[in-house]
Amino acid sequence: MEGGQVAGIATGAAALGLEDDSPDKHVRHARQERGKAIVSRAEPVTLQSPVLGLSNISLGFGGVAALRDVDLQVAGAEIRAVIGPNGAGKSSLLNVVSGLYCPDQGEVWFGEHSFREVPTSKLAAHGVARTFQNLALFKGFSVFDNVLMGLAHRVRAGFLRQIVGSPLARRIEAENRSAAKEIIGFLYLDHVQDSLAGTLPYGVQKRVELARALVGRPKLLLLDEPFAGVTLTEKQELSHYVRKARDSFGATVVLIEHDIGLVMGLSDRVAVLDHGRKIADGTPEEVRADPAVIDAYLGDHGNDMEFAI
Amino acid sequence: MAIPASSKSSCPSAETLWGAIVLMVAYGVVPFVGSDYLLDAVLTPFLALALAAVGLNVLTGYTGQVSLGSAAFLAVGAYAAYNLHLRIPSLPLLIDLVLAGGIAAAVGILFGLPSLRLRGFYLAVSTLTAQFFVQWALTKFGWFSNDNPSGVIDAPVLTIAGISFTNAAERYVFSLTIVVISTLLTLRLLRSQSGRNFIAVRDHEVAAKVIGVPLLRTKLLAFGISSFLIGVAGVLWAFAYLRTVEPAGFNLDRSFQILFIIIIIGGLGSLRGSFIGAAFIVVFPLLLSRVGAALLGSVFDSGILEMSQRIVIGALIIGFLIAEPRGLIALWDRTWSTLWSARRTAAPTCSLTQRSLQ
Repeated sequence: MEGGQVAGIATGAAALGLEDDSPDKHVRHARQERGKAIVSRAEPVTLQSPVLGLSNISLGFGGVAALRDVDLQVAGAEIRAVIGPNGAGKSSLLNVVSGLYCPDQGEVWFGEHSFREVPTSKLAAHGVARTFQNLALFKGFSVFDNVLMGLAHRVRAGFLRQIVGSPLARRIEAENRSAAKEIIGFLYLDHVQDSLAGTLPYGVQKRVELARALVGRPKLLLLDEPFAGVTLTEKQELSHYVRKARDSFGATVVLIEHDIGLVMGLSDRVAVLDHGRKIADGTPEEVRADPAVIDAYLGDHGNDMEFAI
Repeated sequence: MAIPASSKSSCPSAETLWGAIVLMVAYGVVPFVGSDYLLDAVLTPFLALALAAVGLNVLTGYTGQVSLGSAAFLAVGAYAAYNLHLRIPSLPLLIDLVLAGGIAAAVGILFGLPSLRLRGFYLAVSTLTAQFFVQWALTKFGWFSNDNPSGVIDAPVLTIAGISFTNAAERYVFSLTIVVISTLLTLRLLRSQSGRNFIAVRDHEVAAKVIGVPLLRTKLLAFGISSFLIGVAGVLWAFAYLRTVEPAGFNLDRSFQILFIIIIIGGLGSLRGSFIGAAFIVVFPLLLSRVGAALLGSVFDSGILEMSQRIVIGALIIGFLIAEPRGLIALWDRTWSTLWSARRTAAPTCSLTQRSLQ
């Protein structure tokens, strides 16, 4: 029953997206309304324009189905967690959204644009940024240059202009440098900005990666296990920064996580994946009380679950 | 933390100062005191090889794409400049030089196309096609060498705006000027966003792609710039150093020499390393023959020199790959900063910032 309902919502939202002929206005509207959106986060998401929509996503590797008919609607300026046990398909989901995997069926929506296969190289231009589970910083760069790289897509001057230092090239370079400076201050990385990124503690590197993702002021921020492998203090710090990023920049956040406790406090809504299917989607309270989730996590009725799927 | 900030502003000027001193010596002292042998047989080939190494470093050291075709691009540059000069005599030499670089860049981009699909070892093997194809084409089609039976070309006299560069010192100054200008422009490129894109592609290709670095354009730009510089180096090699070249001179050994010796021993991802590596490869055989002759006397003939050179260089490559993959330049920097800090233990210096910039 749950699945049917979600599918219905998804098609509704997709239709909404298709009919919306003034997407920019819509997005702006959603941003202005973000304070309200946060308050009314328990409302059905169809009321707002989804920043990210997945409809009927299926993905298989050989005989193994990583994702099966997954629908997901993420409203503007919400923090949405996707949780699930190991191998539930969380990372596959994020890789589909960022175009690293091509789904066997289904579509990905960014606002009003839909994609069968997301073009990874255009992600930044669509206002989508992501971080990686096992850090993907550029080791040869200082922290500052790593963050500056987050704006690579904004450089429109050709390489000859960059060598000569034409006015356009210099203006863009100056703009990007001040934007990087600003985000470094925002995440309190000033004192390490000249250090080589690879030499810093893991938790700080995670923050640098967050800065690199945020520097382009993305509409949608995808975080792949942002809290994996860091200390408890760093987890709390990072979750504070994630919330701060949403509150200050109005970024919509989709994060993947193992650690249910942390996620429940941080997220507006939580989707639960198990064996590639979405088994629950709702507020943290709803999800926590959902018997299917308890089964999946605690394995009380493990055998029954196998039959159900 | 205020100290690094204040010293940071003085650091680039210190670097610029050293650069200026080197340039002043290179222009103001060397041409006047250097013997013809030093200028002709040591410094001019050093400059040409250094420029080729800078070119390959852009591709391999900065962008992470391995190429075994460097000698082919040297040859393309040399033969393109020769033909431009021969067939369009009205073109000034500098235009020939730039166009020859451009033709080498075009060929480089063509052979760089597989880099979009291939990586590492496989890409290196595919760039070997450039090496064999170019050598074959230059030998097979007489047009390239103006129908010389063995494909040999003779360099014209270097003349720019009526001034001829004929003797050893003049050819050295000509090469030096071309190398300095090319290196400075390359340095500017590497410090721009395009240069940062190179390093991003090298360090983490997937992350670079997600951030919006255009992989295709960045890799082909790296191949183009790299081949351009190597092509210009080829013109210097043929016109200023040897003055008579044949396709066989640009064989696989030369590619290996540039890749393994200059880049790996000199230092990957460092332009200064390219110069140190080039200096090493030019000076090393001379040193070895002197030392060998002093130790073994007449037994140490040219055959033994050749063999011992290969053995020592092979051992050095293995040694560097194991002990110091960043090459001579890393050793140099470490020694330098140790000396520096030993001398000025009381006052904190900018050596830390310098190292992180390097």
